[in-house]
Amino acid sequence: MEILKTFGVDPILLVAQIINFIVILYILKKLLYKPVMDMLKKREDVIKEGLKQAEEGKLTLEKALEEEKKILKKAQDQSKKIVDNANEQASAVSKEIEENARKQADKILEEAKRQIEQEAKDTEKRLSENVTNLSIDILRKSISELFGEKEQKALVEKAIRNITKKK
Amino acid sequence: MVSFAAEPIFRLGFFPVTNTVLDTLIVDGVLVGAAYYIKKNLKLIPGFFQNLSEFAIDTMYNLTESVAPGRAAKIFPYFATFLLFILLANWSGLVPGFGTIGFFEGEGANRTLVPLLRSTTTDLNTTLGLAIFSAVATHILSIRIIGIKQYLGRYFSLNPINQFIGFLEMISEITKVISLSFRLFGNIYAGEIVLGTISTLFAIALPLPFLLLEFIVGFVQALVFAMLTMAFMAILSTPHHEAKEVSHA
Repeated sequence: MEILKTFGVDPILLVAQIINFIVILYILKKLLYKPVMDMLKKREDVIKEGLKQAEEGKLTLEKALEEEKKILKKAQDQSKKIVDNANEQASAVSKEIEENARKQADKILEEAKRQIEQEAKDTEKRLSENVTNLSIDILRKSISELFGEKEQKALVEKAIRNITKKK
Repeated sequence: MVSFAAEPIFRLGFFPVTNTVLDTLIVDGVLVGAAYYIKKNLKLIPGFFQNLSEFAIDTMYNLTESVAPGRAAKIFPYFATFLLFILLANWSGLVPGFGTIGFFEGEGANRTLVPLLRSTTTDLNTTLGLAIFSAVATHILSIRIIGIKQYLGRYFSLNPINQFIGFLEMISEITKVISLSFRLFGNIYAGEIVLGTISTLFAIALPLPFLLLEFIVGFVQALVFAMLTMAFMAILSTPHHEAKEVSHA
């Protein structure tokens, strides 16, 4: 204990220093360590949250881009289909129109042919009638001087019969 | 020459206010003031000062965590406070005016300068107080973490060999306090003596390297005291079986 006195150890001062340190420890704990550690933790949380959000945002963007691509592809497909459809329809319609036109033309042509034929027949008939009449007239005139009335009649009738028979 | 004992400046009733007590109050004021300033200006986006304090506290916390995994939250405040308090106390003695401004006492050959301020770690009262508190806090922490049964198991055993080890443990607990207090006191006190002596030999330029040396010594001693306290706390708060596992690993 002598050595303690040499070094000036005083129980009062010793206790005072211990109490002082406890007080400082308490104050620093409340005023420095806890707030700073809390702040560090808070900042860590904020940064983590921010990073997470950024990651999520990136994912959402990627998804949106993919969706956009999908929609564009779908639209392209659809438009292609529509154009194809339209083309098909148009070609069908044109084919039909062509067909109709050809049919009509054929009909008209046939009609014309028939008419021409008829006309030709009529003409021929008329011509033959004319020829007959003419020949009868010629015959009558020519034989009127040669034969009597009776003979004439018989001859003409015979000629007519012949001509009509020929016909 | 500075005496071992701190010189009383005045008395407050039965309480002798020594120059080291005054220094203690100054160190307290700086610590509390800085802590208050930091807390008041704490922001999510830190400024320079906040960055510095955050770096210091984070480093100290990680150091504690590496020495005592899982128990850092309990041990860290002791470690940090010991380190900061002792560091400031050690460095306070290097501030111009400390140990040089004072008044004369005595007559003739006994006439000596009594400095108004003197680094508080050059007073055995302070270092012994810190060491005792360190030991007591260590034991309380140990009981709270591993329980009274395991705690007592370290010192008492029915096995004679283990009882002998327990006896050694008890002695080591006492020597811890002595070594902690006298190491700090001796180093800083000797530093002041060296500085005083060199300054009387040659006042200009020559003391500068010694000042730098004492600056480093002050830091190292604060670190040693705090680290030893932390190590003791980590050892005493480690459960017995876990300690064995660690030694085998």
